[in-house]
Amino acid sequence: MTATPTVEDGAESPSRDAGDLARSALRIARRFSRGASLWSVAPGRVDHARHVAVEFVHPVVVGKRALPAEALVDADPVADVRRRADPGDIVIGIGPGDDPTLIEIARRAPAWGVEMFWIGWGARPPDESSATPLWLADGDEVSIVRSYHLLWELTHVCFEQPDVLGSGDDPPVSCAVCADDLSLAEVAEIEPGAAAVRMASGRGSVDTSLVGPVSVGDLLLVHAGVALRSLDEVR
Amino acid sequence: MSGASFLYPFLESDERDPSTLLVDLASSADRKIDESRRLIERSRRQNRDVIEAAAGSMGHRIRAGGKVLVFGNGGSACDASAFVRRLEGISGLDVRARSLAADPVVLSALSNDVGVAQVFSRQVEASGSSDDVAVGFSTSGQSENVLRGFAVARTRGLLTIAFAGYRGGALTENPDIDHCIVIESDAVHRIQEAQADLSSLLCRLVAHGPRRSEEPT
Repeated sequence: MTATPTVEDGAESPSRDAGDLARSALRIARRFSRGASLWSVAPGRVDHARHVAVEFVHPVVVGKRALPAEALVDADPVADVRRRADPGDIVIGIGPGDDPTLIEIARRAPAWGVEMFWIGWGARPPDESSATPLWLADGDEVSIVRSYHLLWELTHVCFEQPDVLGSGDDPPVSCAVCADDLSLAEVAEIEPGAAAVRMASGRGSVDTSLVGPVSVGDLLLVHAGVALRSLDEVR
Repeated sequence: MSGASFLYPFLESDERDPSTLLVDLASSADRKIDESRRLIERSRRQNRDVIEAAAGSMGHRIRAGGKVLVFGNGGSACDASAFVRRLEGISGLDVRARSLAADPVVLSALSNDVGVAQVFSRQVEASGSSDDVAVGFSTSGQSENVLRGFAVARTRGLLTIAFAGYRGGALTENPDIDHCIVIESDAVHRIQEAQADLSSLLCRLVAHGPRRSEEPT
C-alpha cells in the first residue's frame, strides 16, 4: 500500500505541511459527521495522546462541539484499537516512523475499517502503512503540539461548512490492495480450512485453503470470500 | 459571524467547493504556524532573564535532592506531564518529578470531597517540602487551583515557577511566585505551543548545570 495522495499534486502557495493538515482535517470532519469516534495513541508520550483527546472532547473555544475522543494509554494500544474502534473511526498516532506499535496499527487499520493519521518524524513508515503521514522535521515538542492543535482548529472550521462534509468525493485511501479489488482481513479465529476474520465491511468467514496455515492476527488479502495471500507468511 | 469565523475570518459561510476550502485552510494553517513561531521567538526574548534565573534556582534544588511537583488543568495538565517526562529524561541527573494532575483517583477524590480549587494545593500540602520546586501552568494565569497550589507551596517553602499566558493574569506580581514566565498572547493554542518551547528550554538550562547557561535564541 502506498500513502494517501500528497500535497505535491496541487500545491501552490500553501506549504506542503499545511496542505497535508488541511486535507486530513477535512477527512476527520467528514468521519466525525458520520458518527466516528477518535482514538489517540502516542507510545511513550501519553501526555500527547491525552492532549489530543481533551482538545476534541472539551474544546477550549466556547460553543465548539464536544466530540467523542479517547486516549489509549494502556500497555497494548494495538489490542485496544482492535477492541474499541468501530469501522469508520479515526486514529491519530503520534511517534517516530519506526515505532512498532504505530506500525502495527497502521498496517491493520484497513482491516478494522479505521483511518489513521500519523503525526511522525524520522524514517517514514513502511510501505504497508495505511496511515496518512503528517510528517515533521523532527520530534520536537512544539511541532507535535502545533500539529494536533491545527488539526483540531481546521476540523472545526470544516464543521462550519456543512456542504463539504457529506459530499461523495471523499477519496478512498489509495492503496494497491483496494485498487485491485482485494480487501484486507485480520484473522480472529481459526476454523477448519477457513478463518473468522475482521474486515472493514464487518466480520465474516474466509476460505483459507489457498494460503496454508494461518494464525490469529494474521493479515490476509481476500477476494470474493477467498484468502489469496497472507501478509504474515514470511514473518 | 459563524462559530469559526473568529479563528478564520476570511471564510465565507456559503463556501461550498472543498478544493477552495482546502486551499484556504492550508493558507491559514501556514499563517498560524508563522504566528506560533514568531510568538515563540518573542517570548524567548522577553523571558530570557527570568528563565535563566528560574533554571539556576531549580537546578540547585534538584541537585540538592529536591523534587519537582508540576500542575495544570486540561491541556496544561498535558504540559505538566510532558515537563515531568523531559525532566526525568535529563541524563546524569536523577530528577524526581511528578505531575499532580496525573492520577484520576486522587483528582476525583479531592474534587468530590473538598472541591476542584484544592486539587493541587492539597497534594502540595501532603508531599511538598522546603527542598522542593513547584511548577504550574495556566494559559489564563487565573486558574484558581493553580493559584492555590502556589499559595500552599509558598507557605511550605517550595521554589515556585509559573507559566502563564495573556498578560500573566493573577500569576504576575504575585508574592507566591518566584519566577513567572509570561507568554503574551490571547490565543490559547499558540500560548501552549510557546509554553512547550519555553518549558523545554527551562529543562535544557537545568540539564546544563548552574555554571553554563544556554543562549535562548
